[in-house]
Amino acid sequence: MVYPAIVLVRTSLARYSITGRHQGWVGLGNYARLLGQEALPTVVSNTIVWVLTIVAVTLVLSLGLAQLLNARFPGRNVVRWTLIVPWAASLIVTSKLFVWIYDYYFGILNGALVGLGVLGGPVDWLGNDRTVMSAMIAVGVFVSLPFTTYVLLAGLATIPNDVHEAARVDGASPWRAYRSVTLPLLKPALLVATALNVIYVFNSFPIVWTLNDRNPGFAHDTMITYMYKIAFRSGLRDVGLAAAVGVVNVALILVAVAAYLRTVNWRDAEA
Amino acid sequence: MRTPLTLLLVFVMAFTSGACGRGGSAITVVIAEYSKDHTKPFWQGLAEQYTKQTGTKVDLRFIDWNSIDQQVSTMIQANQPPDVLNLNSFSSYAKDRLLYSADEVLSPKTKDDFIEAFARGGRYQGTLYGFPILSSARAFFYNQDLFARAGIAAPPKTWDEFLDAATKIQKLGGGAIGYALPLGPEEAQAEWSIWMWNGGGDWKSGEQWAINSDANVATLSFLSDLANRHKVTQVNPGKTNRTDGAFQLFKDGKVGMVMGFSPFAKELDAEKKVRYGVAAMPTRGSSAVTLGVEDYLMGFKKKDNQDAVKKFLDLYYQPENITKWITAEGFLPVTKSGLTQMSANEKLRPYLDALPNARLAPTTDPAWDKVKLDVQQNIGRAVQPDGKPRQVLDELQKNAVASGGR
Repeated sequence: MVYPAIVLVRTSLARYSITGRHQGWVGLGNYARLLGQEALPTVVSNTIVWVLTIVAVTLVLSLGLAQLLNARFPGRNVVRWTLIVPWAASLIVTSKLFVWIYDYYFGILNGALVGLGVLGGPVDWLGNDRTVMSAMIAVGVFVSLPFTTYVLLAGLATIPNDVHEAARVDGASPWRAYRSVTLPLLKPALLVATALNVIYVFNSFPIVWTLNDRNPGFAHDTMITYMYKIAFRSGLRDVGLAAAVGVVNVALILVAVAAYLRTVNWRDAEA
Repeated sequence: MRTPLTLLLVFVMAFTSGACGRGGSAITVVIAEYSKDHTKPFWQGLAEQYTKQTGTKVDLRFIDWNSIDQQVSTMIQANQPPDVLNLNSFSSYAKDRLLYSADEVLSPKTKDDFIEAFARGGRYQGTLYGFPILSSARAFFYNQDLFARAGIAAPPKTWDEFLDAATKIQKLGGGAIGYALPLGPEEAQAEWSIWMWNGGGDWKSGEQWAINSDANVATLSFLSDLANRHKVTQVNPGKTNRTDGAFQLFKDGKVGMVMGFSPFAKELDAEKKVRYGVAAMPTRGSSAVTLGVEDYLMGFKKKDNQDAVKKFLDLYYQPENITKWITAEGFLPVTKSGLTQMSANEKLRPYLDALPNARLAPTTDPAWDKVKLDVQQNIGRAVQPDGKPRQVLDELQKNAVASGGR
């Protein structure tokens, strides 16, 4: 992984013609230009909303799902296997599928919601500026659930049965037992799930790319799709500037994860 | 994970490490994938024929349109350009002095066979570098059943007739849409070009960009009105792409009118769901203008490859080869001999008739490669309910001038 990183940094320090020909070194010029980009604040705030919402919603839902799948009930194995499907399917395929689900004219979501009387008329989920981000986030949660649930499920499996029993003997309500016994013991698994999800969601490209491909400009891009558009799909067509975004992205994610692990006291949790 | 970051890196690595593998005599040929069914078989056959004749091997790569720009750019960044490249732009490569001119790699017979308009579209500063590989022309498609139901006798010839027809169809109700207008990023520059020209405007005035001319502002305002005032388009036309948006709606029989091209007709014929007619574009001017699109073949200057490239290009431009492929893909000819051969085909008549009046985008200007992307990414904003046509065109004009002037 060292060589590509060097190439990326080197690329970010140079100027390239639209054909890809090296046109000379510009030092930190690309980084300075990046800061001057009009779309940058929007893209940064999109990215924060995208990452935080998906990770938070995924964790809450996964805690519930893991608890459910940890309980014994008939058909548990079937449900466990079903949960893997969105994980195993290619993200591009899943995203395309959701494009059709969300479609204004043909989509089953509008069909169902209008049919049930929830909506008075169809909504252009992916074209309406107010709904497109939520629509993408829902897909992001959908594909993040399996991995997160399985990490938490593995965490639950490591909690010995006697602590649950002790809590019950002490007269703790199920909710109280969950909060005071299960959750603290689940902390290492939660930390791993959060840190990995932050990286994974931040770097996620296919969902935003596919669901947002109809929308002009950068209004709904995250840092990852922004980088790609700068390089190949906008009037900028600038590989050097895109590489600068790439370096910033790597730095951002490293800092974010390090800060997160520091605040939650990674070592204490391990002990 | 398929993030662009890793994509970027993987390409860089793939092409730098691939450098060692080159040996003996072989040429790399990069072809855009026009269709799953026809592109590969034709070029593989051609490559075999070439190897048999010359002994030179062909490393044939097919790249889909979505990633061809990035893959080619990565090849050139890594100093591993292909020997022959098929793409929809050429002038930036010519400007960077990466290409052979026609005199260097085409026989005089091939050069003289090009239809003049397409040869002109392949010249950079007067020299032919982008060799036309195939062409297409847009045409106006209308749903005959919806026209009959709405009582419209003939396809509209003027914008007034067009608006009238669209309104009548929209009024049919039941989900009928007057006109499907795709100004989303996929191909907005094509849709816009056609309206712009028929509204009396152009990309340039002389050598200067004229994107924000009064005629163009009026045209874009007309399109915005279609969507927001008259409401005769599909929902959010500025956020609708062509293939999975406008075309899909027309194929489903929901739409009265759409701009299509010959491959779209092929799909409609195969599905047999919609009865459609093909006509000239409605216009504000005296005669209808359509958009012609040509794609290019280019030969990259590399050490000791001139002869091999020349032989490969000459083989493709054999009349039987080029016509065989263009026919299979459903596109239009770029050579005089091909035009003669294909004019017998009745199905292609509306497009072939339109070809002499077709105009090309300013692909000969290297700035166009950026202008095109800028238009794709931004023109849709102008037809949003709160869109500002003049402001959007002013920005596009400013960026176009900054992209290299001329």
